[in-house]
Amino acid sequence: MRRRIADIALTLLVIVVQTTLGRYLAIAGLPPDLALIWTVTLALRRGQMIGTVAGFCTGLVLDLLSGGDGMLGLSALALTCGGFMAGYFYNENKTLQTLGSYRYILIILSVALVHNLIYFIIFLQGSGVHWWQAILLYGVPAALYTAAAGLLPMFIYARRLLL
Amino acid sequence: MLRRAYEFVILFKEYLVFGVLLAFCAVLLAQNDDAQIRTIRSVAVVAVGSLQDVFGVIPHYFDLRRENQVLRELNLTLADEVSRLREARLENVRLRGLLGLKEEKRSGVVAANVIGKNLALLRNTVTLDVGERNGVRVNMPIVTEDGLAGKVVATSGGYAVAQILFNKEIRVSAKIERSRVDGIIRWDGGSLLALTDVAKTLDVRTGDVVMTSEYSTFFPAGVRIGLVTSARGSEGSLFQTVDVRPAVDFTRLEEVFVLTTTPDSERVALERRARGE
Repeated sequence: MRRRIADIALTLLVIVVQTTLGRYLAIAGLPPDLALIWTVTLALRRGQMIGTVAGFCTGLVLDLLSGGDGMLGLSALALTCGGFMAGYFYNENKTLQTLGSYRYILIILSVALVHNLIYFIIFLQGSGVHWWQAILLYGVPAALYTAAAGLLPMFIYARRLLL
Repeated sequence: MLRRAYEFVILFKEYLVFGVLLAFCAVLLAQNDDAQIRTIRSVAVVAVGSLQDVFGVIPHYFDLRRENQVLRELNLTLADEVSRLREARLENVRLRGLLGLKEEKRSGVVAANVIGKNLALLRNTVTLDVGERNGVRVNMPIVTEDGLAGKVVATSGGYAVAQILFNKEIRVSAKIERSRVDGIIRWDGGSLLALTDVAKTLDVRTGDVVMTSEYSTFFPAGVRIGLVTSARGSEGSLFQTVDVRPAVDFTRLEEVFVLTTTPDSERVALERRARGE
């Protein structure tokens, strides 16, 4: 129970940091997707079910906070898929090994790419912008930056693994 | 039978939950304009606005010196401009009186601080520290001293969220100041804006000033949008591609003004009637 409460509190903290301080971490207008990193981390620590639900809840809150642009549910959809995908890499006996190694970064990168792909394909429906252009211009750099931001938790978990 | 169904649910629970959540997201995407969702959003805007208000002090602290210098210089320039505009206005009033032209509806201005920027992929919005209590409503334009910045898309009592011009959803009726050529300003995801629906034969040149046109329902006419950086025709198309560099520097957007203008209801009603709505 305490673990669940801690997870929920941390999820809220990540959302607050993402929405308030995300812009200070942005490079060329692209902030790292802390919500995605947290969703992947939860999926790897707690399993596919928790990862999927956490992705949905986090995405939904982010959608609500993003203003009235007519796309409520989009971040929730993309993050739900992200959490579900990351859950495939869950191994109860090797949680720390996964989180403390380069595999964690590769998982974040692949989940971020899929997340951005889903996001752009839906978001750009009916607009003049090609989704593959958006993926190349924003999706790939944003995914790379998000993966790079994942290095910090990876080092923390790697250190915990050594102790 | 029931036992089998139970085993099936247990075996595929992750897939079932995933499916249900995806379906829920699809419903949400389809029900975006629902009144209840707008209310929930309004509450969310208050929550995020309050938090961003707390953190909004950070850039102000670091940039205060530079900002002060810029404002002092701007003050001098504006003081000079105000005196010239005052003369021009007097002349304008006199000439309008001579010609019998209708006086334009003037809009009020509400100054606002940008307390949050949402840089989510292609959904660029800013959160402002003014809201319905200050007379700010949805669809009101936001401007800076440089020109048009965007429009308000959500409001709560004390906060508002505005789309900036670098937002895929925004469209602005615009015209070239020199040649009066009309077009629509939109953003296609690049570093510049695009003036679309401009026929190849029309006169658009690099360096031309782009401003809002009279055709817009929400944006007042004559607000500077930016400068044309290139205009070129493409083969097989009747239209030319016009790139526009916005007048507003969105990387330094800290203070804006909300123009508390509302569409002329008589005009809107007439246009609706003409469209048969």
